[in-house]
Amino acid sequence: MTTLRAFIIELGKTLKLLSRNRVAFLGLIILVLLILVSYVGPWLWPAETRSNLAEIYQGPSLKHPLGTDFQGQDNLLQIIHGGRVILEIAFITGILTTLIAVTLGALSAFIGGTFDSVMTELINVWLTIPQFPLLAILATMLKVSDVWLLAVILALLDWPGLARQVRAQVLSLKKRDYIEAAITLDLGTPHIIFREILPNMMSYIAISLIFATIGAIYQQTGLVFLGLVPLSGANWGVMLSLAYNRGAVYTSDAIMNVLSPVGAIALLQLSLVWLARGLEEVFNPRLRTSV
Amino acid sequence: MLPTLAVHNLTIEYAARRGAVQAVRNVTFDVRRGEVLSLIGESGSGKTTFGLGVMRLLPTTARIRHGTLIYRRDQASEPVDVLKLNGRALREFRWKQVAMVFQSALNSFNPVLRISDQFADTARAHGYLQGNHLAQRAAQLFERVRLDPERVWRAFPHELSGGMRQRVMIALALLLEPRLLILDEPTTALDVLTQRNIMDVLKELRHQLDFALLFISHDLSLAADIADRVATMYAGKIVEIGDVFTIFQSPRHPYTLGLIRAVPTLTGDRKDLTSIPGSPPDLIDLPTGCKFHPRCPLADARCRREEPELEDLGNGHQVACWNWGIA
Amino acid sequence: MSVTTARPSFSIFVLGERILSNYLLQSVLKSLFTIWLVTTLIFFVIRLMPGNPVDIFVQDLLLKGLTYEDAQTQAASMLGVRLDRPLHEQYLEFLGNLLQGDLGKSYISRNVPVAQMIVQRLPWSVFSIGTALLISFALGILLGMIVAYKRNSWLDHLLTNLAAAMDALPSYLIAILLILLLSTVFKIVPVTMTRGAVSPGIPPGFTLEFFVDVLQHYALLAFVYVLSRTGSWMLTMKSSTMSTLGEDYVTAAKARGLPEGRIITAYVGRNASLPLVTRLALSIGFVVGGSVIIESIFVYPGIGLLLSQALYSRDYPVMQGVFLVTTIAVVLSNFVADLLYGWLDPRIRIAGEAK
Repeated sequence: MTTLRAFIIELGKTLKLLSRNRVAFLGLIILVLLILVSYVGPWLWPAETRSNLAEIYQGPSLKHPLGTDFQGQDNLLQIIHGGRVILEIAFITGILTTLIAVTLGALSAFIGGTFDSVMTELINVWLTIPQFPLLAILATMLKVSDVWLLAVILALLDWPGLARQVRAQVLSLKKRDYIEAAITLDLGTPHIIFREILPNMMSYIAISLIFATIGAIYQQTGLVFLGLVPLSGANWGVMLSLAYNRGAVYTSDAIMNVLSPVGAIALLQLSLVWLARGLEEVFNPRLRTSV
Repeated sequence: MLPTLAVHNLTIEYAARRGAVQAVRNVTFDVRRGEVLSLIGESGSGKTTFGLGVMRLLPTTARIRHGTLIYRRDQASEPVDVLKLNGRALREFRWKQVAMVFQSALNSFNPVLRISDQFADTARAHGYLQGNHLAQRAAQLFERVRLDPERVWRAFPHELSGGMRQRVMIALALLLEPRLLILDEPTTALDVLTQRNIMDVLKELRHQLDFALLFISHDLSLAADIADRVATMYAGKIVEIGDVFTIFQSPRHPYTLGLIRAVPTLTGDRKDLTSIPGSPPDLIDLPTGCKFHPRCPLADARCRREEPELEDLGNGHQVACWNWGIA
Repeated sequence: MSVTTARPSFSIFVLGERILSNYLLQSVLKSLFTIWLVTTLIFFVIRLMPGNPVDIFVQDLLLKGLTYEDAQTQAASMLGVRLDRPLHEQYLEFLGNLLQGDLGKSYISRNVPVAQMIVQRLPWSVFSIGTALLISFALGILLGMIVAYKRNSWLDHLLTNLAAAMDALPSYLIAILLILLLSTVFKIVPVTMTRGAVSPGIPPGFTLEFFVDVLQHYALLAFVYVLSRTGSWMLTMKSSTMSTLGEDYVTAAKARGLPEGRIITAYVGRNASLPLVTRLALSIGFVVGGSVIIESIFVYPGIGLLLSQALYSRDYPVMQGVFLVTTIAVVLSNFVADLLYGWLDPRIRIAGEAK
């Protein structure tokens, strides 16, 4: 229980420090709002099932705050429903990526020797492979429609980049005195990694998690946009793809149909980035702008 | 004789969130022509800030509150108000009149340029010799600091050892024939043998060339080796100044006394070693009166109330202490 | 009395050791190994994955009424391998073809060699994405330094936040937004300029008309790319410059009275841009692959669009070929980046030679 209490106290302190950075705090609020809307919204405002051809491509109005799409359906409603899948895939991928990367990266840095050399070479080779084309090819061949499968594939492609950074971090931490002491005292590898090194990297891991999530959003919406992933149903990426394929980008009436998903995705990415940068400042005092 | 550098009432502060860090407080002394003056103090005493202040290299958070720094190249030269220099004049002043070698020049060289390029940069900036002439002059200086020009001239900084880099820096510092050379902890990060080497080089140089040396350090024994005069600095203020013999044989300030007693001598008894109790004061929130009083065995009520100024004891010996008679 | 046997001054072990200790040679070998690894990977991945395209291909042909042998033959000529032979023989044949520059033939565009298609499209990608990369790099370095020098000014806050925002947004969002704003809403850019590399009807050649047309089609795409990428360069350069500014040798340079201009270029600039230059070399490798999404949006005839089209039509030989070429380019640029870094940073140079 004390660790939970300690965690909450740390969280409180972090939030307080974060609030000094207005942009980051804004990002946090926007993120929380988006999550709330995506999870609670669909429950409060059920989706439309019929198309309404009389109301195609209408601009913003009281009845349709964000206008309508090519089927006459309300854009705002689609936005409310379209966030959940994206958030789910993004967070699952982010967590998976971070888990794999941190474990392998830390182990590699700590154990060293052949394991480390092999791991480094593997990561280097992996990073020379153009990620998005590979992803595109894999998606084409596997025809992924399951959320979890997609998340796993993304994570498997994304972890090396993060692992390399984690490894570098752990290597530099390894040189610190208290780690050398722990090694000399022969406290055991798992203990040292999980009790000494990782807790000090928690902040770094948290920030990496956010960046992994951002990357996952980019990748999944890119795949959906290109039509390589047969995800259907409520999804900002699908919404954008449908609008784009119907030439909405070139039709002045259909602007809202395009702008809504673009705006939603953009807001999500921006809030995550602002939050991440804010956290970076909090955890690395040298970056702070005030004296 | 007019001094090379006359410091009067210099006060330097840093801006911090908690308040102003008073790094240098009303410092007044002279650096005489051709002398070696050693400025001794613990870390945080303000000695490095002072050195940077003379070079006008203080960070943007620092402010020179008041005071004057007057520099004279020769007896007949126009005095230069260092604090009023700007732009072109300041750039010309730096290195040509006063040169400063930072703490163990390990990272004072641009890693991607050769030593020769960095000499050339310096020379070009001051309209000095170029090309072969420069190389020859540099070779002469290298020989003075006991370096092999062949080994050093075309090298990159990381190809040289710490001691070699330090000596190259000293040679570079003397390139334009400055009248004042400031060395800030020149041997701190080096091993004892290299330290000895450099001290020997410095002692030779001061006799061969015409410059005054401000030797900043925390190491009193080094000061004893090379200095003509010694000044001890505490909490941003000079607390004692005098010629080296007087300071070592009859120090009058408890802090100076404490420093001397803390350094073991080759023949000294072990039981004579004492360290000064306590720790240096918070420069933002300084104690009242004499800043040394919390650690001073002689402190009395007056010490806690009033801060002593430097008092002249004759023979150039000055002390800032109410109880110097007892020490 | 001791007998000393004379050791041969040259032996196979010494030669081997000399080869392995030469940093340059090590790099070359590593690069070749990586290329081999990736080609092997893609070969087996395509053949062994569920939804094996080769089998689907054959099945497709069977459905069209060909006999099994005919299906095999056509598949072989398409993919450049004989399918009834065991996998490892197919693999060796594949490698053999590869070394001769034969990447197979396209499925969709019958009998057009993949290599030819790639060579046709490559210049457009390199031209558009390549120049845009260089522009964004140069701009990023410049802005990064300016912002680092003017830290905490309004300019710093503005540019840094802008850069972070642009970096966060996926490039295709920026592309869509810009097309939307500039072409559809404000009608500044005519729609024809947002698609293709040239306008139909203008004959290619060294005419001014042609150049202007090419530039017009290039402009928006390049603008999107630059907007999307400059932020990242700028932020990295800013942090690199800030840490370089704190280095002793910069203060020491000022102490020597060096002019600000010289300090900015040779003391701060050169050291701060070092980590970015290698990233640039790597990015150039990725330029060969074009940008799948951006080229699709702008219908720009580069490698990215080629891949995108191949993905839609399940044109496996083309997919495979593009992927290979891109990877080889990245490996090469990796190699060049290593060399470049060694050349630019004398500290590494010596360490490499001393090994």
